[in-house]
Amino acid sequence: MKKILIVCSGGMSSAIVEKALKTEADKKGVELEASAVGSPQAQDAIENNDWDMILVAPQVRNRFDTFKGYADKKGITIENIPPRDYSPLGGPHLLKLIEES
Amino acid sequence: MNKILDTLNDKVTQPLSKLSEQRHLRAVRDGVISAIPLIIIGSFFLIIAFPPIPTNWAFHQWATAHALQILIPYRLTFWIMSLYICFGIGYNLAKSYELDPLAGGQLSVAAFLLSIMPVTTKAGLMLPMESLGSVGIFPCMILAIFAVEVLRVCKKHNLTFKMPEQVPSSVAHSFEAIVPAGIIILVMTLINVVLKINLETVIQTLFSPLVKAGDTLPGVLVPAFLTVFLWIFGISGDSIVGSIARPIWLQYFTENAESMSKGQQPTHIAPETFFQWFVSIGGSGATIGLIICALLVGKAKYTKSITRASMIPALFNINEPIIFGFPVMLNPIFFIPFIGAPLVMVTVSWFAFKLGFVHLMFVQPPWTLPAPIGAFLATGGDWRAIVLCLVDIVIATVIYYPFVRMYDRQELAKEQEGLSEEDAG
Repeated sequence: MKKILIVCSGGMSSAIVEKALKTEADKKGVELEASAVGSPQAQDAIENNDWDMILVAPQVRNRFDTFKGYADKKGITIENIPPRDYSPLGGPHLLKLIEES
Repeated sequence: MNKILDTLNDKVTQPLSKLSEQRHLRAVRDGVISAIPLIIIGSFFLIIAFPPIPTNWAFHQWATAHALQILIPYRLTFWIMSLYICFGIGYNLAKSYELDPLAGGQLSVAAFLLSIMPVTTKAGLMLPMESLGSVGIFPCMILAIFAVEVLRVCKKHNLTFKMPEQVPSSVAHSFEAIVPAGIIILVMTLINVVLKINLETVIQTLFSPLVKAGDTLPGVLVPAFLTVFLWIFGISGDSIVGSIARPIWLQYFTENAESMSKGQQPTHIAPETFFQWFVSIGGSGATIGLIICALLVGKAKYTKSITRASMIPALFNINEPIIFGFPVMLNPIFFIPFIGAPLVMVTVSWFAFKLGFVHLMFVQPPWTLPAPIGAFLATGGDWRAIVLCLVDIVIATVIYYPFVRMYDRQELAKEQEGLSEEDAG
């Protein structure tokens, strides 16, 4: 079971992408748990839970280094989501990104 | 084209996003955001006290008679929000320095309260609540930063009481803030009581040119332009522009609410709700227009599938699926409408408010409501706000129309050439 955290600006749009990812994972039979948070909650979410991977939404990629700081402390992989995959249709690409990491 | 975009990205977008990542600005932003639930709920009591119904209705008469009591939840939340914001800024700034956030929040509130002069009345010693409202927004920000910086410098230079080792660490911890607390209290007392400097007035005067400018037509066009400009590069323009402009927008909004609560007419056109309900309809760039056009003319498979996937979130002003899915980001076809539609809508809406066609705003509904409903609530229930919002939607649709058709034809051509798999997959 992989635990994935998606960070966006307010936690709204990442919830859409989170759903797309889960749907795709179910379809492929991949065990995966995903959550979405907005950037103000990112630090707490990263520090107080065990994640396997953190994905950063494209519209907050300017804050990537800040998030990476939190993730590095816990030794968690962190990646930017490619812009075009950050949509309800992006599930397949995202799952590939996660499985390859 | 790509060269120009790269240059703009390096010269404008990157510095702006760096600026919004600046530690103090970030703390101010997160501190303001932390008070929004109180502002949203508190503002609704203003609608109850001043219901948008005929004055001869029983409920209206009841509300007028009990306005004082009905407004108490508003008075103790939204009205004095600078107090909450102050704690939020101090908490977040201390946290970013890895200092004790609670101490940061408390010391900030202490510094802020110490900048206000209590008044003696027959009933006893009173703190003027107004000072914790709109006039306190800028003072509370500056004082929270001051308090946390004192805390940081003291910690850095080890200016703390050393407790013997036998003392439990939780007790020793609570003594860490003693020296900074002493410094903050002394400095603030010196300024406020000994030198009798009214920080509130000083800081308000310093910021007043900015506050005046933000309510003018250029003052609303600039943030509207910057927001969509940043989104062109796929970066959250709202949060970057907001972290700089939100304190000013908040001041307009609080002053409008204060006027209402006193039974006067609000005076400010452009609190944040102006952009939320009359410009960023369906999300930044008024992408509701894009979606409506795509529904009307979309023939390509990809246009249809991305429209289906992103239209429901668009109703609730979430447009990341549109920006990254169509995409709008770095897509030259959409540059003109994505920037142009909001600017036209800003101008039309600004004049509509300026000429008194629509009631000025004093309620903050949650930003995820469909825009006509949000517009109606934000104006305290003015039906003309719905009309203006719909006019804005029509403007957005008309401006997007030719460009969406162009986009759709391109997608269609790609699909017919069988080149679409790579992009659409």
